[in-house]
Amino acid sequence: MSELAFVSPTTVSAVLEELADPEAVLVGGGTSLALLARAGLIEPSRYVSVGGVAELRGIEVVGDTLEIGSATTLRELAVDERIRNDISSLAYSASKVGNPRVRAVATLGGAICHGDPRQDLPPVLLAAAATLRVASTRGTREIEIAEFYTGFMENLLEDDELVTAVVVPISVGVQSGYQRFTPNSADDYPTVAVAVSVRTDDEGVVRSARLALGGVDATAVLAPEAARALIGGALEHDRILAAAELAALHCEPTTDNRGSEDYKRAMIGVILRRGLEALIV
Amino acid sequence: MNVTFVLNDAEREFEIEPDSLLLDVIRAAGLTGTKEGCAVGVCGACTVVINGLPVSSCIYFAALCDGADVLTIEGIAKRDPAVIEAFVEHEGMQCGICTPGQVAAAYTLKREHPGASEETVREYMAGNLCRCTGYVSIIESVRAYVSDV
Repeated sequence: MSELAFVSPTTVSAVLEELADPEAVLVGGGTSLALLARAGLIEPSRYVSVGGVAELRGIEVVGDTLEIGSATTLRELAVDERIRNDISSLAYSASKVGNPRVRAVATLGGAICHGDPRQDLPPVLLAAAATLRVASTRGTREIEIAEFYTGFMENLLEDDELVTAVVVPISVGVQSGYQRFTPNSADDYPTVAVAVSVRTDDEGVVRSARLALGGVDATAVLAPEAARALIGGALEHDRILAAAELAALHCEPTTDNRGSEDYKRAMIGVILRRGLEALIV
Repeated sequence: MNVTFVLNDAEREFEIEPDSLLLDVIRAAGLTGTKEGCAVGVCGACTVVINGLPVSSCIYFAALCDGADVLTIEGIAKRDPAVIEAFVEHEGMQCGICTPGQVAAAYTLKREHPGASEETVREYMAGNLCRCTGYVSIIESVRAYVSDV
């Protein structure tokens, strides 16, 4: 085995070359990796830092989308004016991850690829129908976030692939929101969380809806039955209640140390109602 | 491997392991003001300032600091003694273990949110735990410091 190394390339192509080593791991802020390494859960051959790659940073409007570099920090997401205006749920959820010390260095790409189902950003990106732009020395591809997660902390990325950017569609008339339920301290993972993205027409009729749940299953999941129940009518109390009941009925929560299956099911109903009602005040 | 960064306003070079954590590097350099608390990035005792932002040095790879501006409690005390004075005047401490982290967080809070409201102070400082004071005196210390422009 070769000796452990820590490298800090400055271009995407240099990062991709480092990933030829299948035991290499990518480092954004390293806040999760350092914990995993310290606990002996990972033993990489090399750490490849992406923080110094200018191409991976920044937020750009491209047509009807926001393209966000994967090395953009959560703090940068939380304070960015365009994100606050165009997809407020992303800015808000980024502002709630951990504490200021985590958000100062943790990256969007890291928050996506870590893949713990209790994380705040995955349900928001799922509701927003975001797409991941992925590169390797073999070429590039795009992966819809809805297809990305394959299991608890597992995803479709190959060993040699890097998420370079996240593409978030921005459409007129879409409102987004995020609610996290944290009976423990504010900086904890939520017991359950709900992200909503709802498009209404000029008459106030819901034309499309995507609702996503965190903390429920092995990955963030969509709640399509509840979303369908919103379409075709105004976003009003009775329809919101019906959608919340459907989400609670159809979700399959896993009991963990933050809540039992029944508790999580009940709380999904409560916070989805709150999340949707927040859009109409 | 070697890493070079500005530590408390002086450029320093350190020989580190690729997976060394910043907390261990600065303490081994004799800067023992920064404390280890929870060791998992939750309690805030090990907070240092990197490029003007707060970071948990217990979960931060030292190799990431190459070229950075790093401030520990020792450097903060020299650069802005007013933050220390506010904690002394408002008795924002008891046992003192969390204090270097509280002070570092107050220092970055003032620069990220000049003249911050009490709500912002409470939210920002929520990630720095204290098991002695009950927080009231810490919040008073930080409010006095951030409102003193």
